[in-house]
Amino acid sequence: MKAPKKALLLVGSPKPGDSTSGSLGGYLLEELEKRGVATETIRATKAVRTEEATEGLLAAVASADLVVFSFPLYIDSLPAPAIRALELIAEAPAAAGAPAFVAICQSGFPEVDHNEVAIEICRNFARDAGFEWAGGLILAAGGMVGGQPLRKLQGMMRSAVKALDLTAEALAAGRSVPDEAVRLMAKPPIPKIGYRFMANWGWRAQFKKRGRGGSLKDQPFA
Amino acid sequence: MNANPPGAALLLDGRRDDDRTLAFAHDAIMDGLAAGGWAVDDWTLRDDRIAWCAGCFKCWTQTPGVCAHRDDGRTVAERWTHSDLTIFLTPVTFGGYSSELKKALDHVLPILQPFMQKRRGETRHPQRYARRRDLLVVGTVPAGQAEGPEAQTFRRLVERNTRNMQPPRWAVAVLESGAGDWEVRVAVDALLAKVGVKPARDAVDASRQEVVA
Repeated sequence: MKAPKKALLLVGSPKPGDSTSGSLGGYLLEELEKRGVATETIRATKAVRTEEATEGLLAAVASADLVVFSFPLYIDSLPAPAIRALELIAEAPAAAGAPAFVAICQSGFPEVDHNEVAIEICRNFARDAGFEWAGGLILAAGGMVGGQPLRKLQGMMRSAVKALDLTAEALAAGRSVPDEAVRLMAKPPIPKIGYRFMANWGWRAQFKKRGRGGSLKDQPFA
Repeated sequence: MNANPPGAALLLDGRRDDDRTLAFAHDAIMDGLAAGGWAVDDWTLRDDRIAWCAGCFKCWTQTPGVCAHRDDGRTVAERWTHSDLTIFLTPVTFGGYSSELKKALDHVLPILQPFMQKRRGETRHPQRYARRRDLLVVGTVPAGQAEGPEAQTFRRLVERNTRNMQPPRWAVAVLESGAGDWEVRVAVDALLAKVGVKPARDAVDASRQEVVA
């Protein structure tokens, strides 16, 4: 792949506000900007809402030589609007060049294994759409980020930050995602048992605050 | 294999267009289930307005088990919960499901509880309900691609789903576009048998034998 002049971040999270996918992709884009790459960010949910927005997405893809696709794991795969965006991109006439394509998948599970099929799907997409596959990163225990800017969490998420720094350096120089970045990104920020304990405590706390009676184990359709 | 007593099936039809092979598969499945006396909730997803799951987790923390947004997506978990067999029909899309199928599938989250438990070496969310349902998945790929990389990813995806959905029995087939009606029916009958549904041809043969006797 060649050194990119323009990078597009496609955020696949359907969340209307801040998202962990946006946080991870946003950090990578900032690091690319520091290295002289022009950037643009588009949210998949908005891009598939109207024909005009879709045209905007396709134009942005056509003008980019690097596409970073950052998304959360939904039911072992990509969220529906993210798939819809990829369907539309793949169905559009191929761009003159072959942009490089990088995928970042994060999930709330503390193991990266859950996300591997989703990364494979992205790789298949890149091949089908005539993009150059430049690698995939998986972040487990995404709940630790919780949509916050990564710079704010530097200490706790230092492996992920380092992984994205290495990725930005490589991509800006026209190289694929380094193996070391993949390894660092996959490193759990805290032990799995501790993460599960914290997550379960967090769900109970949220229910106590927001719940409308009943129990977290309610069976409304039994 | 033991045949299921006739029950309720939920068919999530994720066709994006008039895919002829999936249409054959749809009809073969409907015939097979009808012959077995099953009640089928046949849901053509592209005809319905189902908002994207927003990932708000209100179905876990605010109204446990029920999507907080009031559209057709809210009914997915209920219809899923009341089924004994769930069927997915989809064009294989980069090795995954079509956006039409996935817009419904993303709404099954409320059938799980939010808690995290370690199970067979991986973290899982416990099932909200004790009742389980079998799973049957049919995808289509272009001719000559049934063993290609996308078909392989697709099979892995379905296997992954089964770890979380925990169907007692499951079956997946990747059919090639251009397959004929008969070829598809043979494949579908084999799939139905794997999830305990007596093939339609057997039922027809049995009724013929009864007539002859």
